[in-house]
Amino acid sequence: MRSLGTLVMVLAVTAGAQAQSPSSRPLPDWSGVWAMQGNTVFDRASVQPPTGRAGDAGVREAPPYNDEWEAIYRRNIDRVKAGAFPDPVSTCGTPHGFPRIMNVPDVYEFAVTPQATWILAENGPGILRVYTDGRSYPAKEDLWPTYTGASIGRWEGDTLVFTTVSLKASKDNDVIVDRTGIVLSDASHSTTRMRKIDAETIEAQMVIEDPKAFKAPWTVTKRYKKQPAGTWAWDYACAENNRNPITDSGKTLTLGPDGKPLDKKVD
Amino acid sequence: MTSVKLRMGLAIAAAVLVSTAATAHHSAAMFDDSRVVEIKGVVKELQWTNPHVWLQVTVDDKGARKEWSVEAGSPNTLSRNGWKSTSFKPGDAVTVRINPMKDGSAAGNFIGAKFDGDGRTIGRWN
Repeated sequence: MRSLGTLVMVLAVTAGAQAQSPSSRPLPDWSGVWAMQGNTVFDRASVQPPTGRAGDAGVREAPPYNDEWEAIYRRNIDRVKAGAFPDPVSTCGTPHGFPRIMNVPDVYEFAVTPQATWILAENGPGILRVYTDGRSYPAKEDLWPTYTGASIGRWEGDTLVFTTVSLKASKDNDVIVDRTGIVLSDASHSTTRMRKIDAETIEAQMVIEDPKAFKAPWTVTKRYKKQPAGTWAWDYACAENNRNPITDSGKTLTLGPDGKPLDKKVD
Repeated sequence: MTSVKLRMGLAIAAAVLVSTAATAHHSAAMFDDSRVVEIKGVVKELQWTNPHVWLQVTVDDKGARKEWSVEAGSPNTLSRNGWKSTSFKPGDAVTVRINPMKDGSAAGNFIGAKFDGDGRTIGRWN
């Protein structure tokens, strides 16, 4: 199994060798405000039932888990059924992380510059920084697992290709892929190919590899539709009036305007 | 005087009534998507806040005043779908359809509302 340090070194060399001069070609126009198509099931191509929504009882996808991680997924699915699968973003402090940042409601903006592309998710905090300035990944001792990881990319024509490493593993479901209960290990890394497939649609195809959790790479495609000209993206201050805190057991409460739980049973 | 009715279990296909509120930042496990409750009352307050907008409605429940908390989407998304921070004003007489809490608490997930005065609707009504 390839260690993260080795992987980072290999990717650093690859990214460094293939990086283009920032001014070598005009960059595509991804301006405007965009919204992800469909609901927040991460892999809508494999979800069962096909109309299932993330967080509904019995809904699942088909990530290529090995037996150990399939068992973890099934336990999480059971927790969803019991109403006790907490969404870490309900704390109003933790980022969605990668790859979940590619799969959130509300809207997106894609800020493309020669040096970097910023994927800005209104629902957040949600920023994915993709550096395209030819840099290498930090040395292993200068890199630590984070929710959104470290992404280095390059332009292949009008396609942004980036690889994301150094992702924080899910520990007690503190970072998840979606509300069906999908989680990844600390060995996960992804290569994303992102391009405009028509004037109104941007597509991101992610190939997620996880040597600890998966038997094979997992390819998931998300699409984003351009919103009408002049659409605004706004501040998303999750902690402003969070009336849905989570109990220690993972239950999501509903608070009244006085801040006291309306739920008849709190835990 | 506001007349109040609580009609439980309207026969509306749950599949059509995709919730707007709970997709943003928390599990929707507390709501019963298979049922629709219609509450009729008076708007006490619209909390135009993130991560969710909350509509507080005072309902006359068999002679007692009861406050319902109705959760909707984020103001960001709602504003892009025609809502305004002034869409509901204190004192507005409204009928609100919700997916109720599974445990029967006085709260639910917003589906749609009709203003009793002029018949305007907001959200999904038909």
